[in-house]
Amino acid sequence: MRPRMRGPAIPPIEVEQPKMKIAVTPQQKAQRVRKTLSVCPVCLKRIDAEVVKRGDDYYIEKRCPDHGRFRAVVWRGDAPSYEEWGAGYAPPAADKNSLPACPDGCGLCEGHLQKTCCALVEVTTRCDLGCPVCFAQSGSCEEGGEDPTITELRDIFNRLATAGNTFVQLSGGEPTIRDDLPEIIAAAKEAGCETIQLNTNGIRLGRDPQYAGELREAGLSFVFMQFDGTEDGIYEKLRGRPLLDVKKAAIANCSRALLGVTLVPTLVPGVNSHNIGEIISFAIAGSPAVRGVHFQPISYFGRYPRSEGEPGRITLPELLRDIEFQTKGKLKVKDFAPSSCDHPYCGFHGDFAILPNDMILRLTKKNASCCPPTGDEHLKNRRFVSRRWNRESATEEIGATGAESEPDMNDMGAFLSRIKSHGFTITAMAFQDAYTLDIERLRRCSLHVIKDGKTLPFCSAYLTALPYN
Amino acid sequence: MWKCNACNEPLVVMKTQFSYMDRSFTHEVERCPKCGKVNIPLELAEGRMAEVEEQLEDK
Repeated sequence: MRPRMRGPAIPPIEVEQPKMKIAVTPQQKAQRVRKTLSVCPVCLKRIDAEVVKRGDDYYIEKRCPDHGRFRAVVWRGDAPSYEEWGAGYAPPAADKNSLPACPDGCGLCEGHLQKTCCALVEVTTRCDLGCPVCFAQSGSCEEGGEDPTITELRDIFNRLATAGNTFVQLSGGEPTIRDDLPEIIAAAKEAGCETIQLNTNGIRLGRDPQYAGELREAGLSFVFMQFDGTEDGIYEKLRGRPLLDVKKAAIANCSRALLGVTLVPTLVPGVNSHNIGEIISFAIAGSPAVRGVHFQPISYFGRYPRSEGEPGRITLPELLRDIEFQTKGKLKVKDFAPSSCDHPYCGFHGDFAILPNDMILRLTKKNASCCPPTGDEHLKNRRFVSRRWNRESATEEIGATGAESEPDMNDMGAFLSRIKSHGFTITAMAFQDAYTLDIERLRRCSLHVIKDGKTLPFCSAYLTALPYN
Repeated sequence: MWKCNACNEPLVVMKTQFSYMDRSFTHEVERCPKCGKVNIPLELAEGRMAEVEEQLEDK
């Protein structure tokens, strides 16, 4: 059995408690939606679970014979409705017989329903931040474990590319801690990895003006940068220090190197959930250097803030409603759709092009999830993110040269030119933790972690037991 | 010069609006002045139209 992580005792940060309707009134009588499998958040043993509707909200509920009952909210409210969001996706039964070892003995078995879209490779476990929130539970620069050698990494990249898994995310720890990162990127490129994404806190990119150019030169495709908000107070709470200036410097340095940046906020209720609209406005103003925003509502794995009782959560429909509310209707819930690659309840995407004069062109197609799976969703997804997050050529920043003439978007040439230069995505991924883990969702995961010679779905790789008092 | 098979009229280059991939575009293509049928040349179909399709392919 794979070793399990156990969350360390750390000082709590303040997390706003969700507006939960725990009391079961007659109107909130439980309505079973479907059966599934999950784990006990304490011992991580697999147990039966149910998705249950109470009022307008949906929960995953389960009982461990040793540690009792657990309930975690997975969907709050009916705009968009849970049923409509998942319509067209007929879930295969997640039963014990067809999945004898899930999620314990994972290495992707025949029960897994999605191929690898993005392969995540940890190039280090060390980090130069000691964030209260960290899915990877990274150590400090001094205390982290031993890094994989360039030869070991080359071997991983070769195996990935041979299997057709040519979209790699270099992650950690903080990858930029390694001085040989350009060499690692070049090794991935030489192995045949076509798209190489760097998952980073942006500190080194911000402090060293030449660094982005070196990474681009080595073959880096684009940057996935931790960006929790537009206020230093947010970073002080989540990351332990103010970081806004260094993040802005990182974006500017990447822009000079023509390296696209996608901003990645970890959303924590009461810490930065009020800042969603501002993050989007900041990102739009940074187009085309900024290619989009990828929201990650907080999940409770790795190193995370402890809170009493049910942890604070922001579910996907709440995030969608917040996007509409906080952008004052500039973006609407209906501009977003579930992915057809991962499970529909695991995330959403909105596809746009940024136009001059504060205008946005909506490109999201709404019929993606209604079609039967074709088996190549992971390739479509890979092409989509590579296209939108890659910055192809130098283009004038909006506002940098004053008024910009409005392109005629009815002209095919102008349309193509604009969506290539100013394509912009707003995406989200709701990672699962030991409270919310739904094996039906896990089976559709296309973000795979390469770890200890195995290929693991992301939420299985980082599954962490709840600190148990 | 192309002629319309149905009307036997020589095609003329006209700015034409058409819908493609749920979007509306204008483009100059050869068109029959009588019945309005258009001739989409191979280079347009395999060039910009294919590029639009590629750009709008969803996740």
